[in-house]
Amino acid sequence: MAEKGGKGFSLPKSGKSSLKSPASKGKDDSSAKSKRGRKVQFDSEGSLDTNSTKSNGKADIPSFKGDLGKAGKGEKAGSAGKSQKAKAPDPLELRVEQELSTKTTCMMDCEAADILQGIQENMVVLSDDPAIKLPVSFDRGLAYGQRIRLYDNPQAVEQILGPLKQHGVSDGELCMIANFPLESVDEVFAFVPSFKNRKSKLRVPLENVLAELTKLRKAA
Amino acid sequence: MFFHIVLERNMQLHPRHFGRDLREKLVSKLMKDVEGTCSGRHGFIVAITGIESVGKGLIRDGTGFVTFPVKYQCVVFRPFKGEILEAVVTMVNKMGFFAEAGPVQIFVSNHLIPDDMEFQSGDVPNYTTSDGSVKIQKESEVRLKIIGTRVDATEIFCIGTIKDDFLGVISDPGTNA
Repeated sequence: MAEKGGKGFSLPKSGKSSLKSPASKGKDDSSAKSKRGRKVQFDSEGSLDTNSTKSNGKADIPSFKGDLGKAGKGEKAGSAGKSQKAKAPDPLELRVEQELSTKTTCMMDCEAADILQGIQENMVVLSDDPAIKLPVSFDRGLAYGQRIRLYDNPQAVEQILGPLKQHGVSDGELCMIANFPLESVDEVFAFVPSFKNRKSKLRVPLENVLAELTKLRKAA
Repeated sequence: MFFHIVLERNMQLHPRHFGRDLREKLVSKLMKDVEGTCSGRHGFIVAITGIESVGKGLIRDGTGFVTFPVKYQCVVFRPFKGEILEAVVTMVNKMGFFAEAGPVQIFVSNHLIPDDMEFQSGDVPNYTTSDGSVKIQKESEVRLKIIGTRVDATEIFCIGTIKDDFLGVISDPGTNA
């Protein structure tokens, strides 16, 4: 029976990981497929993403695109990469910052966790009205932020990520990098498909940033 | 993903609240009215972090209520297609599993779970690989990608997949115990 791909991929968190990494390429019984190299789903779509995110001249969060049908096929077909390329690229589905409002800034999860924690601690001071209770979504948002926060000092993270801005990386893309314990540049490219056409340009600065972030995580 | 945004809302206030505490009353009412709400455009309004401005009030004809335009800053949680989230599994059944990431609920259909993971019924329903090395059950943490969203009046419901590179179980409760 097939073995789950990517067991070896390690995360800083404790416990077993089944995250797939390109190194393991899915199942063992698909060695032929593995040789071909199963592409990350984003890869076939990246060129469109990059062009379009640039077009508005604003900092956009990565403009991802997902498709139920494609996602389903990804694992089964060794030629998934081919078939995706054959398809006409769909238009971008989201530019969140633009959609939300002009005064929108992406937040790293650790930043959000800090703010929400501060609000929770000061709730008694902030409101004299006992009728005001923090909603369920607040508690869930806070719990989520605290659960996945990686850094104690968001400013330090911003400082580390800062140099990437010179390479045209947007705030949203920076947040995506900061929100996960990414260990390799390939992982970053899988998470942020809008980097696709800038891979060669971004590889070295990303390597430096990831190394710095890893140090910061270990120090925390 | 969390965002910090500025929103505007017209707040109606009864004349009995007028006085020195008018601003506080407006803020209290704003918090009561908007925190915890959800819209397709902005996502979940998790918390108000500040008031930018309170405009001049306008008396409503025949009621005495006064409408104040209030600009406020808030933290919102807005999932988007293609976003990767780390979620906690809340329920597992043969159709797939449900997970939560912050205020957002995500359903991962069994078609979007790797083919080598099979549903196991029992006291603790789960999806397991044939060698039992990877298990998705209640309380497992999974890294998933959102591939679709549906917006309700009070919640955003997402469809996710773990069938892609770097996605899958991060930790399961059994190994942490």
